[in-house]
Amino acid sequence: MPKCTIDGREVEFSAGENLIEIARRVGVEIPYFCYHPGLTVVAQCRMCAVEVEKMPKLQTACSTPAAEGMIVHTKSERAIQNQKSIMEFLLVNHPLDCPICDKSGECDLQDNSFKFGDSKMRTSEERRTYLDLDMGPVIKKNMNRCIHCTRCIRFGAEVAGVREMVAIQRGNNTEITTIDGRPLETDYAGNYADICPTGSLTLKDFRFRKRAWMLKKTATVCEGCSKGCNMEIHQDNNVIQRCVPRANLEINKYWLCDEGRFNYHYTVDRNRISFPQVSGVKATWNDAMASSKTLLKGKKVVVLLGSDLTQEEAKLMMDFAPRAFPGSSLFHYGTPGIQSPAGDAAADSFLKRKSKTSNLNGLEKLGIKGFDSIPSGTDAVVILRGGRAVIPKIDGVSTMIGIGVFQEKEAKGMKAILPGASFAEKDGTIVNYEGREQKIRRAVTPPGQSKLLSETLMLWTHSTLSPALSKEGVA
Amino acid sequence: MSGQPTGFETLYVQHFNEEARSLAYYLSKMDGYTALKKAFSMSSDAIIDEMKKSNLRGRGGAGFPTGMKWGFIPKQSTKTKYLVCNADESEPGTFKDRDIMRYTPHLLIEGMVIGGFTIGSSVGYIYIRGEYTREAKLLDAAIDEAYEKGYLGKNIMGSGFNFDLTVHRGAGAYICGEETGLLNSLEGKRGEPRVKPPFPAQSGAFGGPTIVNNVETLADVPFIINKGGEWFSKLGKLEKSGGTRLFSVSGHVNKPGVYELPSGGHTLRQIIYDVCGGVLGGKKLKAVIPGGSSAPVLTADEIDVVADIEPIMKIGSMLGSAAIMVIHEDQCMVKLIQRITKFYAHESCGQCTPCREGCQWMENIIERILHGEGKMEDLDLLMDITNNINGKTLCALGDAAAGPVASFVKKFRPEFEAYIRGEKHA
Repeated sequence: MPKCTIDGREVEFSAGENLIEIARRVGVEIPYFCYHPGLTVVAQCRMCAVEVEKMPKLQTACSTPAAEGMIVHTKSERAIQNQKSIMEFLLVNHPLDCPICDKSGECDLQDNSFKFGDSKMRTSEERRTYLDLDMGPVIKKNMNRCIHCTRCIRFGAEVAGVREMVAIQRGNNTEITTIDGRPLETDYAGNYADICPTGSLTLKDFRFRKRAWMLKKTATVCEGCSKGCNMEIHQDNNVIQRCVPRANLEINKYWLCDEGRFNYHYTVDRNRISFPQVSGVKATWNDAMASSKTLLKGKKVVVLLGSDLTQEEAKLMMDFAPRAFPGSSLFHYGTPGIQSPAGDAAADSFLKRKSKTSNLNGLEKLGIKGFDSIPSGTDAVVILRGGRAVIPKIDGVSTMIGIGVFQEKEAKGMKAILPGASFAEKDGTIVNYEGREQKIRRAVTPPGQSKLLSETLMLWTHSTLSPALSKEGVA
Repeated sequence: MSGQPTGFETLYVQHFNEEARSLAYYLSKMDGYTALKKAFSMSSDAIIDEMKKSNLRGRGGAGFPTGMKWGFIPKQSTKTKYLVCNADESEPGTFKDRDIMRYTPHLLIEGMVIGGFTIGSSVGYIYIRGEYTREAKLLDAAIDEAYEKGYLGKNIMGSGFNFDLTVHRGAGAYICGEETGLLNSLEGKRGEPRVKPPFPAQSGAFGGPTIVNNVETLADVPFIINKGGEWFSKLGKLEKSGGTRLFSVSGHVNKPGVYELPSGGHTLRQIIYDVCGGVLGGKKLKAVIPGGSSAPVLTADEIDVVADIEPIMKIGSMLGSAAIMVIHEDQCMVKLIQRITKFYAHESCGQCTPCREGCQWMENIIERILHGEGKMEDLDLLMDITNNINGKTLCALGDAAAGPVASFVKKFRPEFEAYIRGEKHA
């Protein structure tokens, strides 16, 4: 492999790699704003300019492919002076409203200003201002904070496949906006906020909720469809504040769709059932468990597993069902019209898939078949659900017990509910459409008295059903 | 052209009249399309060789050797190649290409067909500035004539070579004179320069290998092919600069206009005083901008420099598009640089940070100084800003804006200080 030298360190590289990426590999940080590994290179912000021996001018590291024997100095006097001057230029018109800006704490402009800028300000001119524009339900725009990096324009055109963000006017008056001021169309709009290096484009959903530095981050996988996009859940005080994409070059690269990003809302919905219920009324775990057992006793049971459950949960149930409900049969359900992975397909040309649950492929691999209709003679149904699977229409069965995550209106007609944990509240394995096993991780604890499936089944197996216990409540 | 000096061979000025624009005149008086016929009998390498011998250097401003540029086109590429004529002539003070298009359009057309033949391109565009409505019409008429007589189109003069030529009108942006900004505009995109590399010769218009040449550069080509590179080279008086050059002289001068002079044959002083009849109203010369408004200014005692690429570069300015602007003693230099800076701030495309923010900042500071709100530190700040822009931008517009400011502050500092001290008012 060819080699070049960056700040005295010899580095191997492969053809076409740019200096920012190569330097990063040896721990040398070259600051930048407009560069993004998932977008084309435009070399506009000029922040990443470095000194390359034998070249008279500073070279932008983002657009300079390494060459054999190239000697690069990222911290030469000229490079440092350039970083200072770019920071100064960018702040000539930036409002510096960090205290009320949502990006504060995770802002490239702020971070680079601290690291590479000068603390002294030499501008006394009035700042450039723009009128605000409503860009629809996902993104809040504040053009005054914009540094014209054009990442958003490139994301739309190159990644989301919609040319909706554009630059209008020219020079110092350049405004980054949507065509004719229309609301954003893409259903990947949340990414605009992720890639914006300032607080110009922020998420309406997250605005004013938490300061970035208060968030605790858990690496997990989105459960929005069978794609298995990698993401992070950000929470504070056991409350999910937002979900953001986590880079995985083989699955979702740097991106996440809005459906996946905002999917977490159902887990914090106030209509979510987080206490056990018997016939629609809040009950103790013991009473709900006792009622369930009584209701199912001697019945011919069908167990329906949501394909939003993990492999571990499915296996537990495969083990548990034959013993607890002898003669029962087991099916999976999830997305209407999709019985098996064969019915799954890409839903658009980017990330989304038709199966709106995360683990269809996994359950299928465990040998569970898709639910079609209730076998004749069935007189009870146990429905397990992670929270996203669409509950199928079940006719002619009077006894239905729900285990897992349900909203009030979804539980209508169920004789008992044993509340469970959503994807954000448990660890487990899911298998995406291409057979890739991935781990989901617990970011928050289940709300109210909701229990992990393993706990619920353990309780089912060992509880004494004593009425005395039920008064105190087991949970 | 009353002031045009004689005593040396000129290529253009004797034809700069309305009669010359017809094909009939071009064929009978200017050996029209004989160079093309000759070129068809030559190999591409031989033509490039002749171009190199001619020492023709790009007349748009950068002064890059044309023969060498043509040689950059990758011969093996199977992509459609393009030859684009930069007729944007947007550098303030420059108006020589206008005369070529107005009076001798067939020279340009013939030069382009030869260029296309040499680089293997069958598609040519003339990107002309939006304000040149009349010239665009004249070019279209000349192109129609050339198509009619078989000098454009299919199988030109029985050579088997096809070449189509289209006039594309710009919408009036300075930045579209920058070759990659021009290509973006030609493609229907925003007129914003592209990151280089790749250079247009590798990936230019519509992704194909492209050569972008100035009008005068291309119009020189038929002469070179007809009479030989060596002959052309000898028209110039300096070793590296061949041919004659069209100078656009404007400002406080008695006889402004377009003059054709041997490359490197005259000093600025000779051009101003001998060729152009001296400073307007017999006033004292104060300053000269030697190569369009982006060239750093020269003071009256710097004008004994030969008006060519290297000599002017040596004293810290540039010949650029050979647009000489003469400034006499009554001109306030602060007001002048305010106007020039306002132009560049207005014309900055806004892509890259130093140019977008820096040009406007400089304008604001100069504006403040003019209105009596300046501080002495502002002059150092201006110099700092020019340093921070110079050489750090995506294209040359930043340098074009910074160079003049730096030179004005350096050479005419007392005038700025007078405003700051309140001795002068706008």
